[in-house]
Amino acid sequence: MSTSLATRPPVTGVRRQQPRRRRRRTIAPYVFLAPALVLFVVFMLVPILYAAYLSFQTYKLEGGGILGTRVQVFAGLENYIAVLTDPELGAGFGRLAVYGIISVPLTLGLALLFALLLDVQTVKAKRFSRIAIFIPYAVPGVVAALLWGFMYLPGTSPFSYLTKALGWGTIPFLDDPAIFGSIANIAVWGGVGFNMIIIYTALRGIPTEIYEAARIDGANEWQIALRIKVPLVVPALVLTGIFSLIGALQLYSEPMTLKPMTNEISQSWVPLMTIYKMAFITDDLPGAAALSVVLAVGTVLVSALVLWITNRKSTGAVS
Amino acid sequence: MKKRRIPLAGVAALGVSTLLLSGCSGATGSSDGGDVTLDFWSWAPNTQELVDVWNDENPDIQVKYTDAGGGKDSSAKLLTASRAGNAPDLAAVEYTTLPSLIVADVPLDITELVTDAKDAYTEGTWEQVTFDGHIFGMPQDVGPMSFLYRSDKLAEWGIPVPTTWQEFADAAKAVRAADPNAYLASLPAGEFGFYAGAATQAGSKWWSIEDDTWTVGIADEESLAVADFFEKLVAEDLVNTDPLLTPEWNAKANSGQVLSWPSALWSPGVIEGVAPDTIGKWSMAPLPQWEAGEKAVAYQGGSSVIVTKNSDHPEEAAKFATWLNASEEGANLVLTVQNGYPAAISGQEDATSSEPPALMPQQADYYTLAAEISSDTIPVTWGPNVNVAESTFTDLLNKAIADGTPWRDAFIAVQDVVVKDMVKAGFTVSNK
Repeated sequence: MSTSLATRPPVTGVRRQQPRRRRRRTIAPYVFLAPALVLFVVFMLVPILYAAYLSFQTYKLEGGGILGTRVQVFAGLENYIAVLTDPELGAGFGRLAVYGIISVPLTLGLALLFALLLDVQTVKAKRFSRIAIFIPYAVPGVVAALLWGFMYLPGTSPFSYLTKALGWGTIPFLDDPAIFGSIANIAVWGGVGFNMIIIYTALRGIPTEIYEAARIDGANEWQIALRIKVPLVVPALVLTGIFSLIGALQLYSEPMTLKPMTNEISQSWVPLMTIYKMAFITDDLPGAAALSVVLAVGTVLVSALVLWITNRKSTGAVS
Repeated sequence: MKKRRIPLAGVAALGVSTLLLSGCSGATGSSDGGDVTLDFWSWAPNTQELVDVWNDENPDIQVKYTDAGGGKDSSAKLLTASRAGNAPDLAAVEYTTLPSLIVADVPLDITELVTDAKDAYTEGTWEQVTFDGHIFGMPQDVGPMSFLYRSDKLAEWGIPVPTTWQEFADAAKAVRAADPNAYLASLPAGEFGFYAGAATQAGSKWWSIEDDTWTVGIADEESLAVADFFEKLVAEDLVNTDPLLTPEWNAKANSGQVLSWPSALWSPGVIEGVAPDTIGKWSMAPLPQWEAGEKAVAYQGGSSVIVTKNSDHPEEAAKFATWLNASEEGANLVLTVQNGYPAAISGQEDATSSEPPALMPQQADYYTLAAEISSDTIPVTWGPNVNVAESTFTDLLNKAIADGTPWRDAFIAVQDVVVKDMVKAGFTVSNK
């Protein structure tokens, strides 16, 4: 295979070789694709199919053994009905919504703001600022949550230390309703840098002639930002928006890490925590599989909906 | 099109088989020469040292130890590994989770393999691993409930050490009066084991089984009275419900704002770890009682070592489990190296002559008292879904505390969830 690649003959090659070469060409892409495909099949497709299969099973007790033994049997839609009729799941999505409403716009807004600021010609210390804003993204989510957890707990919090010194008492970071802001803060802190880089890269890709033309027309930096830069990076904003939305739906490590520190976070606080609970605490793997399928389908639907809305808007704007 | 698929499928199959093969090579098995290697999961401190002692003495049965994380993490991993068919030969399991693992078909019935071990234990201890006459584990350590308290502070404020829960309430009130920043104790909803123990002490049986029929008593009269009692303490701000062992709680334990920990005999080691500044300031007393003059206490925590059904060498594994837990040598190591309170009688006897735990060097009679406490314990039957009960209990009681609704309603709701879960799984429950 390697020789045929290395000694690729010029187009004016011998005609007789052509059929052989064509066949090789048709095989080659698949060979190159094979590693990725195998990994995809083994680690994505098979587990997904297995999860889907598992979601229609359940563990039922059978005699034999001292207490009886739970064996896997077909359950039909039982798991889906149980999962979808659990009021706690709705409450979990409700909490997720509150979190998402805080975190997604804040992440995108701050990312756009920082990207625009970094793109202004006269701003100093660009490289330093860019790295400083990006660094939190490099901190693993669990570490970030622990770090912030220490800053939230009344006994160890520097913020509460200050407010106590001022005689205002401690700040209830980990109580309802501040807990939503506290968790969103961790995610925003970690996520702004990544989204900023995407938007900033999009900004750098805008031809400078447009700015020159705008300046000649008398536009100031503010107008350039709002009228030219923002509309031109809308695709990047949509992309980061989808990322943030999916990220919000997958909220897990922050509340899970903060859970031992507060009574406010239950074991089914957000859907992913419920999945963990079902799979690993209450030993209901089929139920966990069913909820996973529901969450995955939901994520795809929400993402598709957002894409559809934004597409419609942008085409509408063009026409 | 068809032709193209063939090499692709071939490559895929090759990839899969390579993965499977590499997966197999990771599992341990015996060589043909008669030497056996056993995998052992636990989380108790310094267990590797105990395993080393065994490995030196038994070159033909080598044990490979893995720290699998605390009781809850470990049992989740064990369950998953068992379903995948590659569970370790041996694993430490908390008494509370043992029944759910039996139902999930994880541990092996070792009744025939450990026939000589029964005499090493008291009846109450042995019952924790016995189900309908069958043995599913070797008890390692036990946690008879006890009351760990700041003897220096209580003495300073002239507050007597409570012997009943009523006195506990009085002491809690006196602590609030003496120092408005301090609480006698924190009793959060996450302490399922504590509340279960307090209810057991009051005469409740959260699970019991008779003729294949289960009875769940989480919402029986005794338990509801316990719920009312502690609800009142929390409502009057005499105790709080801050989660335990958080940086916050640890800081308060260090600074003298947490003055006691009603829990079990394993607690001194934990406090020594999180509040090292307070060594010498704590003492242990028997857990307060519901009726003055009573002595019996329940268990909180403690673990046993099981042999799994996946094990290829159950006999060797049972031999190791017996040595580790039931032999005089093993029980002594559990006491001196693991710093646990051994389940075996010999280990408990060794304890009476050993130094008190590092947290309370001044309390010379610590282990005499411990022996006295563990001589009068209430046998407990844990149900097949303690995991469901525990997470539901914590979530619902936390909600009740946050919303200010009656605790007894939370207990009743937990009972409801637990019974429904058991019925769904196919158990016969008398009070559904």
